[in-house]
Amino acid sequence: MIYREAGQYKASYQADQAIFPIAQDRLAMLALLVIAFLVVPFVASEYVYRAVLIPTVILSLAAIGLNVLMGYCGQVSLGSGAFMGIGAYAAYNLAIRLPFLNPFVCILLSGFVAAAVGIVFGIPSLRIKGFYLACATLAAQFFGDWAFLRVRWITNDTPSGSVNAPPLQLFGWDLSSPTANYLVALCFTVVLALGVKNIVRGHIGRQWMAIRDMDIAAEIIGVRPMYAKLSAFAVSSFLIGVAGAMWAFLYLGSWEPAAFDIGRSFTLMFMVIIGGLGSILGSALGAIFIVLLPIFLNQALPPLGAAVGWQISTATVSHFESMIFGALIVFFLVVEPRGLARLWSIGKEKLRLWPFPH
Amino acid sequence: MADRVRSLTDVLLSVESISLSFGGVKALTDISFDIKKGEIRAIIGPNGAGKSSLLNCINGFYHPQEGAITYKGQRRSRMRPHEAAEQGIARTFQNIALFRGMSTLDNIMTGRNLAMRTGLFWQALRLGPAEREEIDHRKAVERIIDFLEIQHIRKVPVGQLPYGLQKRVELGRALAAEPELLLLDEPMAGMNLEEKEDMCRFVLDVNDEFGTTICLIEHDMGVVMDISDRLVVLDYGKKIGDGPPEAVKHDKAVIDAYLGVSH
Amino acid sequence: MGFFLEVLIGGLLAGVLYSLVALGFVLIFKASGVFNFAQGAMVLTAALALVRALDVFEQWHWPFAVALLSAFVFAAVIMAIIAWAAERLVLRKLVNQEGIILFMATIGVTFFLEGLSQSLFGADVYPLNVGLPKDPVFLLESLFDGGILVNELDIWAAVIAGLLVAGLALFFQRTRIGRALRAVADDHAAAQSVGIPLNQIWFIVWLVAGLVALVAGTVWGSKLGVQFSLSLLALKALPVLILGGFTSVPGAIIGGLIIGAGEKLAEVFLGPSMGGGIEIWFAYVLALLFLLVRPQGLFGERIIERV
Repeated sequence: MIYREAGQYKASYQADQAIFPIAQDRLAMLALLVIAFLVVPFVASEYVYRAVLIPTVILSLAAIGLNVLMGYCGQVSLGSGAFMGIGAYAAYNLAIRLPFLNPFVCILLSGFVAAAVGIVFGIPSLRIKGFYLACATLAAQFFGDWAFLRVRWITNDTPSGSVNAPPLQLFGWDLSSPTANYLVALCFTVVLALGVKNIVRGHIGRQWMAIRDMDIAAEIIGVRPMYAKLSAFAVSSFLIGVAGAMWAFLYLGSWEPAAFDIGRSFTLMFMVIIGGLGSILGSALGAIFIVLLPIFLNQALPPLGAAVGWQISTATVSHFESMIFGALIVFFLVVEPRGLARLWSIGKEKLRLWPFPH
Repeated sequence: MADRVRSLTDVLLSVESISLSFGGVKALTDISFDIKKGEIRAIIGPNGAGKSSLLNCINGFYHPQEGAITYKGQRRSRMRPHEAAEQGIARTFQNIALFRGMSTLDNIMTGRNLAMRTGLFWQALRLGPAEREEIDHRKAVERIIDFLEIQHIRKVPVGQLPYGLQKRVELGRALAAEPELLLLDEPMAGMNLEEKEDMCRFVLDVNDEFGTTICLIEHDMGVVMDISDRLVVLDYGKKIGDGPPEAVKHDKAVIDAYLGVSH
Repeated sequence: MGFFLEVLIGGLLAGVLYSLVALGFVLIFKASGVFNFAQGAMVLTAALALVRALDVFEQWHWPFAVALLSAFVFAAVIMAIIAWAAERLVLRKLVNQEGIILFMATIGVTFFLEGLSQSLFGADVYPLNVGLPKDPVFLLESLFDGGILVNELDIWAAVIAGLLVAGLALFFQRTRIGRALRAVADDHAAAQSVGIPLNQIWFIVWLVAGLVALVAGTVWGSKLGVQFSLSLLALKALPVLILGGFTSVPGAIIGGLIIGAGEKLAEVFLGPSMGGGIEIWFAYVLALLFLLVRPQGLFGERIIERV
């Protein structure tokens, strides 16, 4: 009953096409933004920032990027970890070699570097599909792993193999506290997510979905596969690159190439699948889920085990994590291939009727 | 319905000596005919005669090994599908090629794709030019939705629609491109009498109001004889008849092909 | 020249080991159209089951032959259970979905198996000794000064792989079940309509793939010790399959040989000028270049799309 849209008439196409056509949704989103920007900074502890909030926000952006490629355009990618790495190392190099640039500008510019590389690695997608394309993206991933380690120009010849992010400041304000990191990440994510949502509901997004659903028919109605696929790779890589730069500058502080290995690619893919392919909201939900699950397991499993007399080590917890992830992937694919986002909209459908049964 | 008598002179598309084979199978052998601007041309023939393959050649999906197609004065031996679309050729498919993940409205909007020009940056901002363009094209699409009487299923994902409605949506998508040549592959397959009459009405209206040239493949002889200006008859990949319905109806070779007399 | 041959032969033999893993992929893809990303995890699980059972039986002082045989039986039973569970819980539910959904489901299975096998059987590195000799051997000492250094284990692996391929080829061509598998690979609905029980066939295929994984795990485990990185072999099998075609058993062998040899040669002769360590990506880039030229691989089938 609360969620009824009765009485909300759309008098223009513009209103009908808005991102949140229903007033309750607009209010909810506004409330969420207010809480995220104005309330959280006063109540969150450093642990919550570093363990939950900052990773969730940054990985949401990365998941949105991967969703653009996999969910909206239907191109499989197992190389997203390497693209995060490209963003991170590009931002690092820009910061080191052009010290007059503010670190936040470097983060933004690194997205363009990642986009350029993404276009190059997207060229094979014009000829290959499905799991063949997955292999091509694996080539990108492993090549990235090797380059970050062996091409010394990228790491500025550090002897130890790990690099440090520059100190974060804006017009003289020091912004290296967890609260500042969180707010910066939130700004980037919200603005870029809005931009992507706009693209996705416009003609370019429709081209991507046409390619995904039936690329032959898409070509016949005039969609140029090259432009559509490469633009998907470009936008996706841009977002993932910016997320990678944020991951390095705002979360890790100092990092080695292993931070962007194939495990990271799989994690992002799980977020996209569990959250829901083809949904911006789903990407965020997936990120929240994947960040929270290990924390939850780490807290819950040892006491549960102790209750039945079983000593559960951290190694065992991580094995259980693998098992639960794996089982959840299969579960979601079988039960609800459109993931948490679909469950969310089913929930909203039920909300429209609640408390009435039908 | 009265026979249509019209005098049409300009040739929009002409097919010259097209031959197409897949491996050892000859789908089309030495096919030649033309389509005049503004006419309704039907392609008929038994199953497996090569009708869909012919349509696929016209819009560039298959490339014939021999022969050429002249469209709007330009002679080509091979065409790419999106070139065909850019030149004003639109089509529907025998097995419905709609984008199942999208709604009716979005599917028809993809038909406007060629006319939508704003780049990534403006799309991301969605203010000003991008929003205006989207609204302009939405208006055009809504006119088509009105024309085809599918307002009630605008927001429904097409995968959930019944077959007859999906065919109508696919026609809408083809019309959205404002084509000069519309290729329809069995637009009335699987429909009942009432749906067929609706579809006929749409096809005739499109031809009347917009002057769109139509080339359709159809099995229902009643429909074909009623609405088409001229016919092409195919059998085993060869042309066995070409002319107005009255003439073709009485042609011995055509009657033999349909009655299955061995030849 | 002798050195080049040594690297080449070493590479070819390593390639045989890749082929062993790729064979499992080909089997499942041929019979169910599913690209089973979990094949690597199956190799790990099989090897872990084998090595731990063998350790336990040896601790119980069983004679070596009996312990070995029992350990193999134990591992085979574990693979049978996995095959049954995969068919029942995953394949049956996703039967009409597109390939990409099934592929992602097998990624889920991979993670599940990795977690399960390590929590059940342990996560250390376990040396495996099933009686295969592991000594280096010098061949052709008369032709080349000092001879060519080859590992005996690798030679045995090649022999085993050859026997396996011959056995599988016979199985597919000559037996009733083999014929049923080929029918299912071609067209599910048609196979069902002539009375072939789809579910049983899939169970059998996954079981055979599991046994192939056991053989691969035995050989790899003897060579490297049984450890988590065995699971990552699945990733290396992808370039092998791309070269050889997803549906061809001889293709898996030849693809493996090319990838193995190519990798080693590139590492030794190209690597130093590029900073070393190019082995990790060379196979993939090679496969990628190949894909651009011939998308269906050396022996795979060309797909013509109809609208």
